[in-house]
Amino acid sequence: MRKVGVFVLVLTLLLAMGGHALAQSPGVTEKEVVIGWTTPLSGPAALWGVTALGGKAYADYINSKGGVNGRNLKVILKDDAYNPTRALANLQEMKGQVLAVAALLGTAVCHAAKDFFYENKIPLVAPYGNVRIWAELPKEKLRYVFVSYPDYEDEAFYLTDYGIKKLGAKKIALFYQNDDYGKMALVGVKRAVEESKGKASLVETVPYEVTERALATHALKLKESGADTLVIYPTMSHGALILKEMAKVDYKPKVLATFTLGDPIMYNIAGEAWEGTYIALPGHSGVPGADPEATQLAENLIKFNPEIKGKEYLAVHGAVSMAILVEGIKNAGKDLNAESLIKGLEKIKDWKPEGIGAPVTFSPERHHGVNASRMGQAKGGKHVPIEGFVLYKPRF
Amino acid sequence: MDLIESYKEELKLIRKPWTKFWVGLLILFVLLLPWYSPEHVTHICIIIFIYSIGALGQNLLIGYTGQISFGQNGLLAIGAFTFGHLVGHSIPWPLAMISGGLAAGLFGLVVGFPSLRLKGPYLAIATMGFGVAVYQTFVNSETLSGGRMGLLIKKLTPVFSLSPTNFNYYFNLFMAAIFLLLTYNIVSSYMGRAFVAIRDNDIAAEVTGVNLVRYKLLAFFISSFYTGIQGGLYALFMGYVEPNMFTFMESITLFVAVIVGGLSSVEGAILGAAFIVIVPQLLSQYKGLVPVVYGLTIMLILIFEPMGLYGRWMKMRLYFRNWPFR
Repeated sequence: MRKVGVFVLVLTLLLAMGGHALAQSPGVTEKEVVIGWTTPLSGPAALWGVTALGGKAYADYINSKGGVNGRNLKVILKDDAYNPTRALANLQEMKGQVLAVAALLGTAVCHAAKDFFYENKIPLVAPYGNVRIWAELPKEKLRYVFVSYPDYEDEAFYLTDYGIKKLGAKKIALFYQNDDYGKMALVGVKRAVEESKGKASLVETVPYEVTERALATHALKLKESGADTLVIYPTMSHGALILKEMAKVDYKPKVLATFTLGDPIMYNIAGEAWEGTYIALPGHSGVPGADPEATQLAENLIKFNPEIKGKEYLAVHGAVSMAILVEGIKNAGKDLNAESLIKGLEKIKDWKPEGIGAPVTFSPERHHGVNASRMGQAKGGKHVPIEGFVLYKPRF
Repeated sequence: MDLIESYKEELKLIRKPWTKFWVGLLILFVLLLPWYSPEHVTHICIIIFIYSIGALGQNLLIGYTGQISFGQNGLLAIGAFTFGHLVGHSIPWPLAMISGGLAAGLFGLVVGFPSLRLKGPYLAIATMGFGVAVYQTFVNSETLSGGRMGLLIKKLTPVFSLSPTNFNYYFNLFMAAIFLLLTYNIVSSYMGRAFVAIRDNDIAAEVTGVNLVRYKLLAFFISSFYTGIQGGLYALFMGYVEPNMFTFMESITLFVAVIVGGLSSVEGAILGAAFIVIVPQLLSQYKGLVPVVYGLTIMLILIFEPMGLYGRWMKMRLYFRNWPFR
């Protein structure tokens, strides 16, 4: 009889433990929340991996203030070398260990992993890649994805519209990368010119291939167009190259650049030719050195990771992404799991992470939290915002 | 190590009863793995199976025939994009896969022509040029590559109520097994011996009746076919391809697999594929140190075990077989 009693006791304990294990959400304990982050820390895009260092430093900063709802944040940071296979393997490894994943980086990585989050019921917050990847997903898959990245077409419209209305552009030219990224910009530029109702015209479009380095003929073609305003959609290095070539042939139009050239590091690459360029600063982050909140945040991040110094622009991007996730966790309350986190994120309304950027809003019907730009200008080695954010309709 | 007394015995895949037992156990282990291992381990195994096919092909070329090629990234891209475009045009996937392999094989023939005149580093540079040219072509042609958004490829629907990961595991295991058996067949045939003869001394091989043009080009064709199939399987598994997945680093990765696994060894190619997939994964939490630690690991293996992982395995086998004697 005694043996039966012990057996029943052991069985009850086992069942209780099993029940507890079932109730426990992956990546959540009484004291800790685990966040996954796969990013290029090595390879061709390693510089952009600073976003993850910023995100992790922000998590440490939050922990130093007592964590979120009594739980500390733990970030599992893995290198994918900008390789979709490795990114997917990292995500697979994180499965069951993390509550959510922050900020995938790269269009290829986002494409390869776009079904992963729905299939595994893991929320993804603030990925960096072409937003149209997510816009094409069916609603049930999109439920797990929260995006705060600007749309290229809307941004190109904004840049051109600004050029026409504020800078008096009459003849506009576009220099763009000959792929979907550049072509989406072309659509935006054309739309803005059409809506100007004859005030401005698109006089030249000059595409380049990503492998080209000799851009002298491109610069001459732009000069011969007689355009007074030039919109550019290149990579950072091609942006620097075209401006240098234009300076050589003494062609100095007003230049308006996409947000991917928003890092003041452009001064190091393009030199003096960068001075005066107008840049569409993105709504999902701020500019350290120009925005007081972003400057303060950058200083805090450096305290937790001195490696960030000199790369504050990208680090703040990562920190802001993590801040959105933290806000979602906060809103989810004590009973934290993937479902409550989704609901917590969907409660975010007109909120600025650490007071930075344009207001973010998510809801069950809206998972593109912010689609905004504001004009900035390269002045004296800095990127200085010169107007407030202009908000565009979210894409999904 | 083993005394082989007849040609029939030479052709046997497994010669000793105990080896049969261990191989049987290994097959059982591999077949049951998805049922007891975490899902991410199964996922990593899928990538190993896919890379094994490319490593086997590369080993036939480098290890068995002695022809160095650094153009594998181009062949991978050709295989993957051919497969992607054909599947996109509603061609059944098996046909698209074979076409991807054949397209890569035909381009491999083109790469192989310089091998009739060039050797060693000169051949390596010529083939590297091919890889770079193919990569640039895909990068610059949106029609071929799908541009920045890449090419979306419909994944296979799992059967027998298997989860997508488990289904992909068995599917790619099956494909890798086919190519493994094919490779065993090739190396133990006249063709395989001709490859080895060319590697050891091509003039002597020609004197003994080996047609150098035919067998060198055949080695390039077969190796490239394997790589094309690897590209197709990779595209099918990822469901998406874009040119930046096929940079020169992919050629280096396959080269490392062959060298670290062990030249002229079928099993070595599998071990090498496992090495290039598992090591970066294990080191992925060491941030930017991955390439350094990865590179050092390769250097240490080559310094202390020039015959690669397969060489180490053979030494271990010999040690236990002769134990307690040395």
